[in-house]
Amino acid sequence: MKKYFQQGLISLLLTSLLAAATAVQAEELVVYSGRKDKFITPLIKKFTAETGIEVVLHTAKSTALLNKLRIEGDRTVADLYLSNDAGNLQTGSRLGLFQPMDKKITNVIPANLRAEDDTWVGLSARARVLVVNNNAKDLGFVKSVFDLADPRLKDRLAITHSSNGSFIAGVTVYNLSTSTGEVTNWLKGMKENVGGNLFSKHSKIVKAVASGKKDIGLVNHYYIYRHLAKNPDAPISILIPDQQSMGMGVAWNVAGIGISKHTKKKALAEKLIQYFVSEQGQQQFASVNNEYPTRVGVPAAAIVPAAGSYKVADVPMRELGTHRIETLDLLDAVGMP
Amino acid sequence: MPIAKYELEETPWLLRVWQALGRRVGGLGVVATIVVVIAAVPLLFVIISSSQLSLSGWQALWSQRLPSLLWNTLSLAVLVAFLSFILGVSSAWLIARRNFVGRKAATWLMILPLAIPTYVFAHIYTILLEEDGWIGNAWIAVFGEHVAIPDLYSIGGVTFILSIAGFSYVFLLVRTALEHSNPSLEEAARIQGLSPFAVFWRVNLPLLRPAIAAGLSLVVLHVLSDFGAVSMLRYQTFTLSIYLQMNGRFDYQGAAGLSMVLVLLSFSFLIFERWSRSRQRYYASGTQLRRIRLRNASLFEQCLIWSWLGLITLFAFALPLLWMIDWSIQAWQQDLLDSSFWGYVSNSLIVAAAAATLAIVAAFPVAFFHTRKRSTLSTSYIQLSSIGFVLPGPVIALGVLSFILTVLSPLYGGLSALLMALVVRFLPLAVQSQEAALQHLTPSIEQAGRILGARPLENLRRVVLPMISNGMIVAWVLVFIDAMKELPATLILRPTGFDTLPVRIWIEASEESLELAAPAALMLVLGTLPALWIMMRNEKQPVSKV
Repeated sequence: MKKYFQQGLISLLLTSLLAAATAVQAEELVVYSGRKDKFITPLIKKFTAETGIEVVLHTAKSTALLNKLRIEGDRTVADLYLSNDAGNLQTGSRLGLFQPMDKKITNVIPANLRAEDDTWVGLSARARVLVVNNNAKDLGFVKSVFDLADPRLKDRLAITHSSNGSFIAGVTVYNLSTSTGEVTNWLKGMKENVGGNLFSKHSKIVKAVASGKKDIGLVNHYYIYRHLAKNPDAPISILIPDQQSMGMGVAWNVAGIGISKHTKKKALAEKLIQYFVSEQGQQQFASVNNEYPTRVGVPAAAIVPAAGSYKVADVPMRELGTHRIETLDLLDAVGMP
Repeated sequence: MPIAKYELEETPWLLRVWQALGRRVGGLGVVATIVVVIAAVPLLFVIISSSQLSLSGWQALWSQRLPSLLWNTLSLAVLVAFLSFILGVSSAWLIARRNFVGRKAATWLMILPLAIPTYVFAHIYTILLEEDGWIGNAWIAVFGEHVAIPDLYSIGGVTFILSIAGFSYVFLLVRTALEHSNPSLEEAARIQGLSPFAVFWRVNLPLLRPAIAAGLSLVVLHVLSDFGAVSMLRYQTFTLSIYLQMNGRFDYQGAAGLSMVLVLLSFSFLIFERWSRSRQRYYASGTQLRRIRLRNASLFEQCLIWSWLGLITLFAFALPLLWMIDWSIQAWQQDLLDSSFWGYVSNSLIVAAAAATLAIVAAFPVAFFHTRKRSTLSTSYIQLSSIGFVLPGPVIALGVLSFILTVLSPLYGGLSALLMALVVRFLPLAVQSQEAALQHLTPSIEQAGRILGARPLENLRRVVLPMISNGMIVAWVLVFIDAMKELPATLILRPTGFDTLPVRIWIEASEESLELAAPAALMLVLGTLPALWIMMRNEKQPVSKV
C-alpha cells in the first residue's frame, strides 16, 4: 500500500515536472497585471486565438508588482507590466524598469496619454466625474469638484478612502491644475462633510447614491454605467464637473502597459501591445468596461459622454507619477482618512 | 606531508567557524543555528533597510505616523484579547466542566472558525451588513430604518472580525488545561461552600493563567501581524501602514523603520509574557490518576449553554459557511467552476502540505536543542525563530525575495521563495508545539535507549520521534492550516500563473465576483477540515463522563 503510494507520488512529481518543462517551450508571454482579470481576459483570449501566443496573467496589486519587478531585476520572468494607473506606470519608468517600444506602436496614441520616452503607453482612459441622485434637492450649486467641500453637502457626500489609487490620481490632477492651498482647503472641507463615513469601493458609492443614502459622489465614470446596466431604473445621472469657462476640466487617468527592461521576448511583447492599440483591440476596451479608447478615432460606447464633448484637465498622464509623492504628503498633512 | 600541512594552514575561515561552532554546540546545535539564521533573514532585511533611514526620516515617522499607529494597534490588540478571552474561556469551561447533549459537536464548533481566514470573514461580513445583506435585512426588520446598521469599517468592526477568527486558540489551550487539572482543588473549594462561579473565579482562573496567557499571546500576535482583515477594513495598524509605505511610496526604508518598531513592540510583548509566566510556578501534587467527573447539566442549563455556544457558532462559523454555500450553489448552477478552479485547489494543498512538512523538519533541531541544553543560546534561538509571527507577511516576502536573489540566485523561480517564506512565517507554530511535546521526554528515557545499545540516530528514530509524534502531528496541522490561509506573502511570491485559493479569493473579491470568491472560500474550509480532524483525533481524552 505504502509502496504504491510512493510510486504514485513519484510519477505525479515527474509528470508535473515534465508539464512544467513543456510549458516553457510554447510561445508565451508573462504579464504582471494590476488590472482586474475580467477586463483584460476577453482581449487576451482573442489575441491568443489570432496569434497562437499564450499569455499568462500574473495578477496582484499594481504597486506590489512594481516592487516585485524592481527587486527581481534581471531575474524577472515578466515580459510586460500592466497597470490601471498612469502614476504607477510613470514610477516604473522613473525606476528604469521598462524599455522603450517601437514608435510605430505608440504613434497612434496621443502624446499626453503615454510616456515621453515611449516606455509605456495608455490603453484605456477613465474620467473622474460626479454621480448624483436625480431626486436630491439643492444640488444646483455644484459645478466643480471643489464644490464638494461646501458645508451644504454635510453628510450627503460619498467619496472613497484616500488610499484609493483613482482618488490619489484625481487629487494630483487638481493639485497641478490649481494651487496646493486650494486643494488643501478642498480636502479639509470634504473631510468635514463625510465625517469619517468613507467608502471602500466606487461601486458602493454609486449604490449609496442610487438608494438615496447619499446625494452625490465622486467616482470613475464607468461605475455609473455598470450600475445602470444592472439596474436600468436607478435614479442616478452623471454630472461632468469643472466645465465653466475658466474651469480646469475633468481629471482623466489611463490604464496602460510597458515592456519589462529584462524581457528576452521584446518582439512578441510588442505584438501584444500592437494588438491592444489596434482599432479592434481598442473597441474591445470600449465595450468590456465602457472606458475611453486612447487611440484617436475609436469612439467610446454610445452610452458614455463622447470624449471630445467636454473639457479635460490639461495634465499629461506621466505627471501622475512624477507628482504622486507630493499628493501623498498633502493627504497625510490634511489627515485625510 | 605537504598536502596535510596545506590543509591545516589554509582552512577557509567559514569552515573554521563551522568547526568551532560544532565543538561548542554539537552537531544538533549547528543544524539549529542554520535554521535560526534562515528564519532571521527577514529580520536582517529589516535591520539593514532601516539602518539606511536618516535621522530626519525617523523624525518624520515619529511625528506623523507612530503615535496614531501605536494607539490604533495597541487598542485593537487589547480589545481583541478581551473579547477572545470572554469567548474562549467561557466556551472552554462549559465544555470541560459540564456534560450536555452534543458536547463533542460543541468542541468542534468552537475550533472550526480556525478554518476561515480573517480576510474572508471581513469580506463576508461587509456584504452581510449591507442594507440588502442578510444581517442588514434582519437589522432593519428589527430596529427599523432609523437605527444605523453597525459599521464594520471601525475599530469595533475589526475587533469583532479578529476575535471570532482568533478566540479558538484560547479555547483550545484553556480546555486542555481544564481537562488536565487536578479535580481535588475544585472539590475542596466546593466543600468549603463556594458557589460554582466563585470556584471558577478563585480556583480555576488563577490556575489557568498560563494557558490563558499562551492563548491570548497567540491571539495578540495574530492581531499584530494580521494583514487581510485590516487591509480590507482599512484600519490603520502597523501592518497596513508598512504595506502602504512600501507599495504606495516605494519607500523601503520608511517601511523597514516601521517594521523595526513593530518587531520591538512584539518582542517586548513576548518577553513580558514569558517573564510573567516564569514568576508563577505551578506544581502538580503527586500522581494524578483520578479523572475529572463532569457534572450533568439540567435541562435549563443545557438550554443556556447551547444558546451561548450557539450564538458564538452562528457568527463565527454558521453564517459565513451558509453564505459560502449559498453563493457556491449559484456558481455551480451557472457552470462557472471549470478545471482551472480545481487547479487552484490542488495548488493550495500542495503548497500548504509542503510548507508544513518543511516547517516541522526545520523546527525539530531548534526545539530539540532547546530541550537538551536549556541555555541562554538555545532560549535566544527559540525567540529568534519566532520572527515569522512578528513581522508582517509583505515584509517577510520582500526579505526572502531579496535574500534568495542575492545569495541563492540559482534557486530563484518555482516554489522555492514561496516555501521559504511560508516556513519562516510559520516556524514558530511548529517550534512551540514540538517544544511542548519534547518536555515529556526526560533525559533518562534517552539514556536508557543508549545503554541498551542504540546509536544516536537509532535512538532518535526509535525512542524520541515516536514519543513526540503527537506533537509533530499537531505542529504539522497548525502550520498546514495557516499556510492554506496565507495571503500577503503568497500574493507576492507565488510562481507566475500559479494561483492558490486565497489568491483567487482576493482577486475575485476585489472584482466583486462573489459567485467566484465563495466556492474558493468554501474549498479552503473543506481543505482544512481533514487536518483539524487529525489534530482532534490525536489528543488524549482524560475526561470520563458520569
